[in-house]
Amino acid sequence: MVPDSETNKHVYLYEHDQSALYSGVLNPHKHSTIDSGESKKQIRKIVKITIYLAIVTTLEVLLGLWHHHEHVLASGVVNAMFLCMTVFKAYLIVDVFMHLGNEIRNFVMAVLIPLTLFSWFIIAFLADGHHFIHMNNTRADTQKIEVFQANE
Amino acid sequence: MSQATSLEGNAASFEDHEKYIQDSPKAVRWNGGHSPFNISYGKIMMWFFLISDSFTFGALLISYGSKRYFTNIWPDANLAFGETPFTGEAHYPLVFVSIMTFILILSSVTMVLAVHAGHYMDKKGVIRWLLLTIIGGLAFLACQTWEWSDLFREGAWWGRYVDPTQVSIASLSHLFDPAVAAKMSLYEAMQATTNFYNYFFTITGFHGCHVFSGVCLNVMILINTANGTYERRGHYEMVEKVGLYWHFVDLVWVFVFTCFYLL
Repeated sequence: MVPDSETNKHVYLYEHDQSALYSGVLNPHKHSTIDSGESKKQIRKIVKITIYLAIVTTLEVLLGLWHHHEHVLASGVVNAMFLCMTVFKAYLIVDVFMHLGNEIRNFVMAVLIPLTLFSWFIIAFLADGHHFIHMNNTRADTQKIEVFQANE
Repeated sequence: MSQATSLEGNAASFEDHEKYIQDSPKAVRWNGGHSPFNISYGKIMMWFFLISDSFTFGALLISYGSKRYFTNIWPDANLAFGETPFTGEAHYPLVFVSIMTFILILSSVTMVLAVHAGHYMDKKGVIRWLLLTIIGGLAFLACQTWEWSDLFREGAWWGRYVDPTQVSIASLSHLFDPAVAAKMSLYEAMQATTNFYNYFFTITGFHGCHVFSGVCLNVMILINTANGTYERRGHYEMVEKVGLYWHFVDLVWVFVFTCFYLL
């Protein structure tokens, strides 16, 4: 099959600047300007997310200071709140700043599914630490010994 | 629809592009030029690098967590970190590190604005926002340098607090909750303090290396932008790729901040 001129162009693109193949993907707003309504709408969204991130960080700091001075809530509750706020911030950054929310679903899954390994990772290592401290504080499970527990 | 039109990305949507690929003769499909994820090779590879890097940071943080979990006592971050520049000996927990956090978040915002300007081929905007991003990155590194040197002056470093003839309970008790400090043994305090500082310097140092290389990459793309390289190329994809890296560095800091200063 003799390639036609368009196929030639195809080959030409592929052998040189590959990114030109995807220029539509890379540059969806090429024909629009930074002052357009669409652009301003996106900037408003970025500013909104910035404010969210600032608010959540301020809440984290205030909660940390309050917990340090007053110690009203149990540490476990406060730690769970910190973790929730951290994951929320991570979600905002990945979704909006890294534009993962704009990618197609298959790609989002290709990024997120490998990260589910973290659930095994965290559970396995905390279980290991739990076993270790038990063995350490009971002379390898042979006797009850008096140990100092900071979280008592 | 002609082939050239679709290749240059003028297809109305991803679905149109897919339909075009499906309708093409097999020979055309085998010529490549088809992106199943509708995203360029470079960006996919940056994402995959970031996944692997997140496992590196994850391994460090989980190792830190498990070490902390299997130790009976642990230093209180609010007591260990609390020095702030220009305040002398006064102790303000969380103040300085939250300033650092805000600096990094703001530099992430300026980076996403640089990426945004690149989408619209706004060269001046890209230059302005990249400059601000670089300044934010350098400010963060300066803060970290101050924090590290302050801790070093107090005697903290990798592998310190391992020699019982050099360390006493009195020299470590200011790091622990008073109720803990009153009852702890020297051995427990030395073990916990050494682990605490080893992980702190390793993880924040590894993160600082990422910030530093991010600043270097930002300087490189700033020079290319100013030279008009991306304008001639027709897109600012390189800014997007470095932007992904920079946001990732910010993302890691979000977790480091929680793990070291809050929990």
